[in-house]
Amino acid sequence: MPTVVLMDVSLSMTRPVSLDGSEEFQRKNLAVHGLNMLFEHMASNYRMEFTALMAFSSLWELLVPFTRDYNALQEALGNLEDYDKTCVESALNGVSNVVQQEWGSACPCQVVLVTDGSLGIGKGSLRHSLHTLKHHGDDKKFPLPFPFPTKLFIMSVANAEELQMTDAMDNLEELLRLSGGDGQIFTMEGPLCMKNVQAMFGRLIDHAYSPFHAVLHCGNLSSDVQVFPRPEPIVMDEEVEPMPRSVNTDLEIVGFIEIADISSPPVISRHLVLPINVNKEVDEVGTGATDELEEEPSASQMAGKSPNFCVLLHGSLKVEGMVALVQLGPEWYGMLYSQADSKKKSNLMMSLFEPGPDPLPWLGKITHLGPISEAAENPYGEDDSKSPFPLQPPVKRSYAQNVTVWIKASGLQTDVQKILRNARKLPDKTQTFYKELNRLRKAALAFGFWELLKGMADLLERECTLLPDSAHPDAAFQLSHAAQQLKLASTGDSQYAAFDHNIAPMHTDFSS
Amino acid sequence: MKMFSVSHKTVFVVDHCPYMAESSRQQVECDVLTKSRGQGVIPLAPVSKSLWTCAVECSMEYCRILYDVYPLHKLINYIVSDSEFHILNSWRQEDQSTHELMSALAAVGPPNPREDPECCSILHGLVAAVESLCKITELQHERRTTLMDTAERVANRGRIICLTNAKSDTHVRMLEDCIQETILEQNKLAAVFFFNIQLGDDALVSDRPKKEISPLLTSEVHSVRAGRHLATKLNILVQQHFDLASTTITNIPMKEEQHANTSANYDVELLHHRDAHLEFFKSGDLHMAGTSTRENGLKETITLKWCTPRTNSIELHYCTGAYRISPTDVNSRPSSCLTNFLLNGRSVLLEQPRKSGSKVISHMLSSHGGEIFLHVLNSNRSTLEDPPSISEGCGGRVTDYRITDFGEFMRENRLMPVSESSHDPSGKLPVERAKGQLERHTRYWPMIISQTTIFNMQAVVPLANLIVKETLSEEDVLTCQKTVYNLVDMERKNDPLPISTVGSRGKGPKRDEQYRIMWNELETLVKTHAGATDRHQRVLDCIIACRSKPPEEEERKKRGRKREEREDKTEKNGSKDTDDKSWQESERLKGLLDKEEQESEVIKDSPDSPEPLNKKPRLCTEEVQPPERAKGPVSLLTMWSNRITVANSRKHQEFVGRVSSVNNKFELYQQLKDENGMDVHENGKASR
Repeated sequence: MPTVVLMDVSLSMTRPVSLDGSEEFQRKNLAVHGLNMLFEHMASNYRMEFTALMAFSSLWELLVPFTRDYNALQEALGNLEDYDKTCVESALNGVSNVVQQEWGSACPCQVVLVTDGSLGIGKGSLRHSLHTLKHHGDDKKFPLPFPFPTKLFIMSVANAEELQMTDAMDNLEELLRLSGGDGQIFTMEGPLCMKNVQAMFGRLIDHAYSPFHAVLHCGNLSSDVQVFPRPEPIVMDEEVEPMPRSVNTDLEIVGFIEIADISSPPVISRHLVLPINVNKEVDEVGTGATDELEEEPSASQMAGKSPNFCVLLHGSLKVEGMVALVQLGPEWYGMLYSQADSKKKSNLMMSLFEPGPDPLPWLGKITHLGPISEAAENPYGEDDSKSPFPLQPPVKRSYAQNVTVWIKASGLQTDVQKILRNARKLPDKTQTFYKELNRLRKAALAFGFWELLKGMADLLERECTLLPDSAHPDAAFQLSHAAQQLKLASTGDSQYAAFDHNIAPMHTDFSS
Repeated sequence: MKMFSVSHKTVFVVDHCPYMAESSRQQVECDVLTKSRGQGVIPLAPVSKSLWTCAVECSMEYCRILYDVYPLHKLINYIVSDSEFHILNSWRQEDQSTHELMSALAAVGPPNPREDPECCSILHGLVAAVESLCKITELQHERRTTLMDTAERVANRGRIICLTNAKSDTHVRMLEDCIQETILEQNKLAAVFFFNIQLGDDALVSDRPKKEISPLLTSEVHSVRAGRHLATKLNILVQQHFDLASTTITNIPMKEEQHANTSANYDVELLHHRDAHLEFFKSGDLHMAGTSTRENGLKETITLKWCTPRTNSIELHYCTGAYRISPTDVNSRPSSCLTNFLLNGRSVLLEQPRKSGSKVISHMLSSHGGEIFLHVLNSNRSTLEDPPSISEGCGGRVTDYRITDFGEFMRENRLMPVSESSHDPSGKLPVERAKGQLERHTRYWPMIISQTTIFNMQAVVPLANLIVKETLSEEDVLTCQKTVYNLVDMERKNDPLPISTVGSRGKGPKRDEQYRIMWNELETLVKTHAGATDRHQRVLDCIIACRSKPPEEEERKKRGRKREEREDKTEKNGSKDTDDKSWQESERLKGLLDKEEQESEVIKDSPDSPEPLNKKPRLCTEEVQPPERAKGPVSLLTMWSNRITVANSRKHQEFVGRVSSVNNKFELYQQLKDENGMDVHENGKASR
């Protein structure tokens, strides 16, 4: 989930912070300090996150496009300049553009808005934007909610009391509500100082940027892993199941399935599964360290050299072309597979299925997948030539069962002509003739279209009179038999008009 | 995303009163005469559908689309009304199919024009519809039962679609009032109602958009002509009611019926859940994505271009959604060509037409088990691009993972669907049994080749495959024991073991040390299963009884190892001048081995131990292949081992089995015929 850091660089951010100490800080310095801490945390614990840095006042500017280069982000923070007044609306428009250009409109995004709670004055101020919300034309819609799923974190370099003195807090809350409600407003607790700004960003880190650690199990084999990006809790049906579901920290493999059988299933999110070494100190800032490369070489080399189940699993999944079905929680499953980024690089990935007992119709209920060893004979065949998948639904779909639709006249004409074509080729086409005839008969009965049955009977009788002299004698018998049966059905007489009844070919024997 | 929205239940109420037997006055010419046959033949008079036929076929089309897109949990109850109401099916899942409905409709037949119009009314059906909506469906029942105290979260809502021939607006109002009254009587139903009034020709009833009649009831009136117009209207309604959208697949190459060698491009329109277009809606790309508005101005479709599949390679696409489809025109030739192509197992990628000319594959059509799905593929930049390779992380530098073995393990732990009918509800769920199997199979599973000896040995395979089973048959135990005897045999013959030399210098451990490692490992493997059943335990007992050296012996051997290592060096040098010395050494070693042999004989061949009886039968000649028969020049090692074998054979008593064998065969477990198996088992233990 990429992050956009939206930094307020209006003049109000340069307000000095009254401190007893000798050094004088501006709010901007506090904000930069907090962001530096966030970037440092991400560089070591959340390195795969793409982050962009935007600065805004009445205008906005993309200082650093989406990157994983946290040095570049920190460097840009060091070179911030001061501009005029705060204009949140235009900045949010900027965010919307920047994110959509890079990631499209489906990718969830986190926006970290850093401001001092002084939200501008007059036209362009947040207050003005929110007041005129309803008067916006369709062409100039307020940017929130963004088209992409958003988590909005507002980092206010001001304490809650200060925000509540004006309507700033109300406006920020309204902003959060407009963005879809997913997110949080963080304020400073206590006096404005380095320590408290650290505490505030610490809360953001715990809330949104703590790495997700789990243990991947396959029977007695296991590996500590980091799942990136963090799987977010989801709500399935706000009415019946209002509680969000979260992914367990124990991921349990239940079995294996061929890629061809799982067949490009729909997934709600994709995550890297990175093996980690948990023997390290967990006492550092944030949670456990995960990054092997930044560590001193000896430690990472050690970790690299002791066998890890993830690597084994990845290798075999890749070679065999299979996926591992993994249980994420009660009635929630996903799959593990090898994903190649390039010819050389590949990785263990996990995709999450929609929560529920049967996320993929072609696999059926996951709880009803059992080990093949229980089958009398291997359902994959001795040479892997067959497969028990996909599961067939009990009822065929309309396009797989030759349904009759006569809404367009052409549909009816085609069906009638098909019967006549076969009628002219009797007795060779006896089977097809009766099959088509019965199909028409069934539909006509269901639709209460008895007139058609009479009409068809007339047509068959006429065909009978038009038979050439060379025709097989059976043709005439079959045609008049069929015509008679249709006529009987068209009376609605229950003996002849039963839906499940089929007109059988007349039994004729010309051999003797 | 509400499971129990108004769409969960739909009741069709179709008027079956005598006036519905009237002709729709739309004639269908079904006798198409060709020029050559036309002469002198009087064409059949065109047929015309009755209002009833129009109503039935349009409602069936609504059901067809619904069942295609939602085979589960979107239910239809079909009611026909004349002098009384006829309920044609129930909410139960097995009643939900067009075949069921068609069959029931055939039994009802067309309205009887001679029936007394005074007793006939659509009202009977409407009242029954409200009552039917009050009945709980299987899914509602199931969810309420599981939710227990919060059961009220499972709402009861529904929709009624009434197809009738009302005479006036007042008539419609009267019908609405009647439904409202019934709802109030039932006092539990929140329902949304759509009225669909269809008329022969002149509009006697006026259209009316959605209107809230009471908090429990909204109503909508559509006045349309029978036939095509009604069909179009219901097609729009089914899309609105069930959040459907339309995609037109364009540029489908299809062989012409008449000219088989040419192909023309066709378009096929499909309906599916509108979320398949979510990305377009969000990005406001609708027009760019080739939206077109139909002639009636009510329906929009998105055009996607067919990309002829080149390969049949199996690939795991990153797919963010898969939605069942239903062709709008199901039995047209282009539609059936497309659906048959897909049902035969091919997948088709679909390209989103873009102004810029860049090619973006946004969707894929694919069938799974006879159902066709429109898959939405991710066409945006991935946030996971350029991840560190797995080889850079933990365990990434290890090169001798048992990749092939784990692949085999995965094949054995593949899953299969177990039908719910064959599942014993009191037992463990199949998926739990699958997890149980994984647990058993991984009790001892070294991840790298250099960590294991037994899994690198073909000879251990039969035992390793069997011991992980939940239960063993008597035959399985025998196979395991055979495997053990085979190993004993290998050890006796001093066959080399695939012991890893990683981490040790030179040749690695000595042969007998290798066997000790192997036996230890085998014992570890089997010990993890020994508690499962008595038969598992018997396999362990067999190993303990058969493994070459009892523990105290091993201690002694360790002390003597230094000497052997020296000897090993000389053997390796193998130069002539040390030959004599090596022979001396081997003689000394021979003495040592003889002594051991005697010691072990005391145990193995002691009269109260049945162990020799368990000795592997010499069935196949390759197992007893004497070293002399090895091809090629005789090596020093062979000469040496021959000497020892000969010396040994002189010194020890021949096994009972071998002595009394017939054709080199000897029946095992003869004592089992008289005693039970427990004796063997206990004796086996005692022999340790």
